[in-house]
Amino acid sequence: MDDSKTFNLNVRKDFPILSKKILEKKDLIYFDTAASAQKPNTVINETNDFYKNHYSNVSRGVHTLSVESTFRYEDARKKVQKFLNARSENEIIFTKSATEGINLVAQTFYEKFMQKGDEVILSLIEHHSNLIPWFFLRDKYGVALKFANIQPSGEIDIDHFESLFTNKTKIVSLTHLSNVFGTELNEKAISICKDKNVPILLDGCQSAAHLKIDVQKLGCDFFVFSGHKTYGPAGIGVLYGTENLLSEMPPYQGGGGMIGDVSLEGASYAELPAKYEAGTPPLVEAHGLGIAIDYMNKIGLDNIIEHENEITKYAFNKLNEIDFIKIHGGDNKRNSIISFNIKNVHSHEVSSFLDVEGIAIRAGHHCCQPLMKHLGVNSTARLSFGVYNSLEEVDKLVIALHKCKEFFNK
Amino acid sequence: MNDLINDLYQEIILDHGREPRNFGKCEPHNKSADGHNPLCGDNLKLTFLLNDQNIIEDIKFTGEGCAISLASASLMTEKLKGKKIEVAEEIFKDFTNLVSGSDEDLKVLNEEDSLYALKGVGRFPMRVKCATMAWHAFNQALKD
Ligand SMILES: Cc1ncc(COP(=O)(O)O)c(C=O)c1O
Repeated sequence: MDDSKTFNLNVRKDFPILSKKILEKKDLIYFDTAASAQKPNTVINETNDFYKNHYSNVSRGVHTLSVESTFRYEDARKKVQKFLNARSENEIIFTKSATEGINLVAQTFYEKFMQKGDEVILSLIEHHSNLIPWFFLRDKYGVALKFANIQPSGEIDIDHFESLFTNKTKIVSLTHLSNVFGTELNEKAISICKDKNVPILLDGCQSAAHLKIDVQKLGCDFFVFSGHKTYGPAGIGVLYGTENLLSEMPPYQGGGGMIGDVSLEGASYAELPAKYEAGTPPLVEAHGLGIAIDYMNKIGLDNIIEHENEITKYAFNKLNEIDFIKIHGGDNKRNSIISFNIKNVHSHEVSSFLDVEGIAIRAGHHCCQPLMKHLGVNSTARLSFGVYNSLEEVDKLVIALHKCKEFFNK
Repeated sequence: MNDLINDLYQEIILDHGREPRNFGKCEPHNKSADGHNPLCGDNLKLTFLLNDQNIIEDIKFTGEGCAISLASASLMTEKLKGKKIEVAEEIFKDFTNLVSGSDEDLKVLNEEDSLYALKGVGRFPMRVKCATMAWHAFNQALKD
């Protein structure tokens, strides 16, 4: 057996859900990791263990359980810091999701650094999570939004992007890895922001766990991702921000844990990172995310990426050969995501058809309606891969897609 | 072929999905509403003419969607054309029950009805919204 096959068989044992039968008889083939990743045994067991043996609130008490909980929560922060290669733990804010991270930045960055008439640059391929928080600024405060076009390849049109900057541009927010095309952001976009001295937020929902992330090398000012897409629990997300910016921006929500000192006249705020973590945080979920990071480190992120690249390339070539399938985007490299349509078959039909074959894919607009409009479709079918997928699963998919096409065009 | 898929996509559904009947805009019309499925972006525009005896004289729709949503809209227009509004409302209620998987207390629909072809949707909870989009638009138009 070759290495890649052994690798895969070993990894698959770590994910109990893969032994589930769909509709009682079909093996589950999970091609929807971009929506949410499945969880390895260690994450499931360790979160259970937290509740069974260590649970209490964090940073509040001095008793043993409080210490144990706090230790786990803060240890998770250290793991995230290393995972992203942030300079300090103060730059790692736990949120409930990437979505919350973007909302946090939009609100607090606006409060400190922006006023009516200032501009934000986004792009056409953004997830609704990276649109609506900025729409709020437009609607509430009269901030102007500008959108970079994309090329047929699915990449941001860098020249157009650069032309959008004015002296009113205050912040840029772009997806690091498109959840529709699977293409990576051109690094030039970040260097342009550096040159112009405009902070940039990267939406790393799809890149964390599928690319190696080094926020210092990337040179981004903010980076957000969600734990549930990186083999961890839902309900925990991460906002990385440079200490400079996070120190200057005001708190997001008020509550326990984020204060220095409170009297009835007012309050001072806690230091980073607590300043942005009002209320009891999703502490078990944070621990779960830390365990998921341990898991990825144990397998080796390089190995994960290599494995996913192999599958993605294999699937891309297989689908590309099929005349009734149109893959969206160009021929450039994809990272674990492929969107396509079958000629004359709505993606819903494709998804329902595949479902009874045990194959889970996503159909819809993928929370990217402006992009769908641009592509001239109202939905696409999307395959997305995780560390547990195999080439054999892609072969089964291809057979099922042929059956599907035959069924609907009979 | 899998029974579930054959149940979901009966011949009549595929047929109406491919070639929806009453596709277009009803002119003149005095009632209209938009249907929208925010989960997937499918949408339709429904127009109809309600005469002074409260009978739906003509009814049409346009839109984009999956086979289930198009077939459902198409079959709905066929069923509702010529019906009195009170009857149409009963059909609406029956239909929503039917596609939610309960066909026990139906008042006006029965197994002979072409709408019955959509019963298979009940086994695919995520697709119920596809089947009911046109009907909710219809209900909305009555309220407006
Ligand atoms: C590119 C991108 N951004 C943001 C999100 C939102 O993530 P969450 O819902 O976990 O906050 C997603 C997830 O669907 C995504 O793919």
